[in-house]
Amino acid sequence: MPGTYAGRVLYIDLSTNSFREEILSEESITKYGAGRGMAAKLLWDMTGPQTKPFDADNTLIISTGVLTGTHAPMSGRATLTSKSPATGRYFKSNFGGRFGLALKFLGYDYLVITGKAQNPVYLYLDEDGVEFLSASNLWGKTVRETNALLEKKHGEDIETICIGPAGENGVKFAAVMASYYNAAARGGIGAVMGSKNLKAVAVPIGKGRVSVSDPDNFQIVVEKAREALYRDTGACDLNMYGTGATTDWLSEMSILPSYNFRRGKFDGADKITGKYLKDNGYLKREVGCAACIYACHRLTGIDSGEFKGSHSGGPEYETLASFGSGCGISDIEVILKANEIANDMGMDTISAGAVIQWAMECYEKGLVNKKDTGGLDLSWGNKEALLKLLEDIPYKRGFGAVLAEGTKGASQIVGGDSWKWTNQARGLEHSRVETRGAFGYALAFALNPRGPDHLHTEVLAEFGLKEEARQVIKKITGSEEYAKPYLLEKRAEIVKWHEEIYALTDTAGLCAFTSTASYGVDEQVLADLYSYATGYKFTASDILEIGRRIITLERCYNIREGHTRTEDILPWRIMNEVQQDLVGKQPEVPVVSKEKLDKMLEDYYVLVGWDSETGWPSKKTLKNLGLEFCIKPVWGDDNENS
Amino acid sequence: MRQVKLRVNKEKCTGCLSCVLACSFSHFKYFDMSKSRVSVSGTHDLAEFEPSVCIQCEERYCVNSCPTGALSVNSATGVVTLDKDKCVGCKVCLKSCPYGGVKWDADSSNPLICDLCGGDPQCVKHCRYPEALYVEEG
Repeated sequence: MPGTYAGRVLYIDLSTNSFREEILSEESITKYGAGRGMAAKLLWDMTGPQTKPFDADNTLIISTGVLTGTHAPMSGRATLTSKSPATGRYFKSNFGGRFGLALKFLGYDYLVITGKAQNPVYLYLDEDGVEFLSASNLWGKTVRETNALLEKKHGEDIETICIGPAGENGVKFAAVMASYYNAAARGGIGAVMGSKNLKAVAVPIGKGRVSVSDPDNFQIVVEKAREALYRDTGACDLNMYGTGATTDWLSEMSILPSYNFRRGKFDGADKITGKYLKDNGYLKREVGCAACIYACHRLTGIDSGEFKGSHSGGPEYETLASFGSGCGISDIEVILKANEIANDMGMDTISAGAVIQWAMECYEKGLVNKKDTGGLDLSWGNKEALLKLLEDIPYKRGFGAVLAEGTKGASQIVGGDSWKWTNQARGLEHSRVETRGAFGYALAFALNPRGPDHLHTEVLAEFGLKEEARQVIKKITGSEEYAKPYLLEKRAEIVKWHEEIYALTDTAGLCAFTSTASYGVDEQVLADLYSYATGYKFTASDILEIGRRIITLERCYNIREGHTRTEDILPWRIMNEVQQDLVGKQPEVPVVSKEKLDKMLEDYYVLVGWDSETGWPSKKTLKNLGLEFCIKPVWGDDNENS
Repeated sequence: MRQVKLRVNKEKCTGCLSCVLACSFSHFKYFDMSKSRVSVSGTHDLAEFEPSVCIQCEERYCVNSCPTGALSVNSATGVVTLDKDKCVGCKVCLKSCPYGGVKWDADSSNPLICDLCGGDPQCVKHCRYPEALYVEEG
């Protein structure tokens, strides 16, 4: 039987309203693992340092997972890859929902979108190809309105990706929304879509067929993975309370980022948890992405009061921490409303909350006043300010225009010392993870080609919170003793393995929770799933090697853009300000000093064969990984031996 | 085969489509939502998803409405079975079922009705929630 992967690409040029198909070589999967990996290669080939994020030449790649379309647990995800307007660098953004499944069923492994439409358009894809349709009635509409109009026209059995006003207006943290509430949120890829005058892509769901190469063995491995994921001791929390299950616990541990990363404890943390949402009737439905068995996604709503009728997907943990503890707000209804606005406008809730709490700190310190904000009081905890700014940012109204640039851009406008509390590196706002209390995360964030965030390399295992996590640490380092987040030792090894497994989890289309928060899927399970699904033979070591190749290629892309070791850093506050609430709670001083980071980076560079001075993969490393084509762009010459 | 009946609780459906995928795969060894005996309707805005599948009802609307006698009930298992030679593809069974339990296979122009997978329904096995899709003994 044919397998799940055909290497089928649909190239769409918005400038000429044309499309063509191509079948990629076997190497696209055997060497790059397909999905995110091959998308990085396509981006490498199709863009370069001359490409600006909003140029017509910038490329938007949507790749489906190798296992997407099957009943492999949690296999319904897809990846967006492009050059980010937030960072100016390589960016991949992975998203759930059902869009990936619908696209895969139509037979597409990749959509590659280039060019710029003269007028707003949306694409309708079917088994017969692409329709370029006018989006004149959709432009300016919110995500909810856009989806409703698309459903009205094409019927309810469609899945979409689309942008809201934030993407149309070039907000640096505009999301691409999948249907109503799932998001490829980070990196401002929504603004790339907007720059192309592309409002949406709609596909019917339910058409087409996905086959696996060896159905009987595939079924056996799927059962095995499902059982392991069910058994995982963290699975229950994720299902019952979603990703917000631990907000209060994080505060107790003094690692809940609060007040723009100045505090780790937050009064009222118990009111911004998944449990609080459930116990108080805000949780309306547990929602699963395609083939999900955890259903951590939420549909929440408010039944009475000022925000009656408000409803949306989420809020996820990151949103609770970003709009909540980060801004000094513990009123869950305000956070739910803020979440609804961000989803509807198509904005990343992490960066939107980050830029608003940055502004609150500017206000406290006198760098921003009411004259700047149009009369808005930006005191900590001001709920009205949060909601007003979330309405203004997408349209770049008033002070919203400043914040629409993200914390890095906004701090360049406001000036003074405000850059010190932007809590961004390389243009991306730091995830709501207290890296001063988790040094593996710190290293992973510093190396992440996206910027300092958790959706590229998730090293939760370093906390050793459960037996499965401790076993992972033991497998990597030889001892459970290294399952302590305040240790600097073995962080390089821990990060390396997690980078690799995460990369292949992405390419497979699996949720990151299958391998790096729950531990039902490891390199052997991935190898078996890949082999029986596709008909190509993969071993566990192949899986990790492909992961290493992907990580290295993503690195090389950024090096070609000018990246050096000096950019392997974390936000200034994380590196220079001790997190006071955490003092005395761990043996190490809770700050990721340059000295600490350098030690971990040195370990990592040696481990993976990168040059310590430049932070660039050595020529030998590139050759060993079959990435010879990167040698000249990285090193300036193609002498493999120098 | 043990005697079971399928039951759905739409309030608990997460819309993940695992049941749909598992049904197609268990019968055809490939994934094709149009070949599934289970379907999930509902839009994303309010996440009001609803699975529909044959629930082995007492009334047997499909069997009683079939003009050619192509459908019958297996007394041992309670499953509605199709005699393909008698089926004329009129879709009366499809229209008669108030539960949306009859699907249509466009390739064969025959109805697709749950066969309970020999007593161990794969849709139930792959459903995250015992409360969303489950079996009742007898």
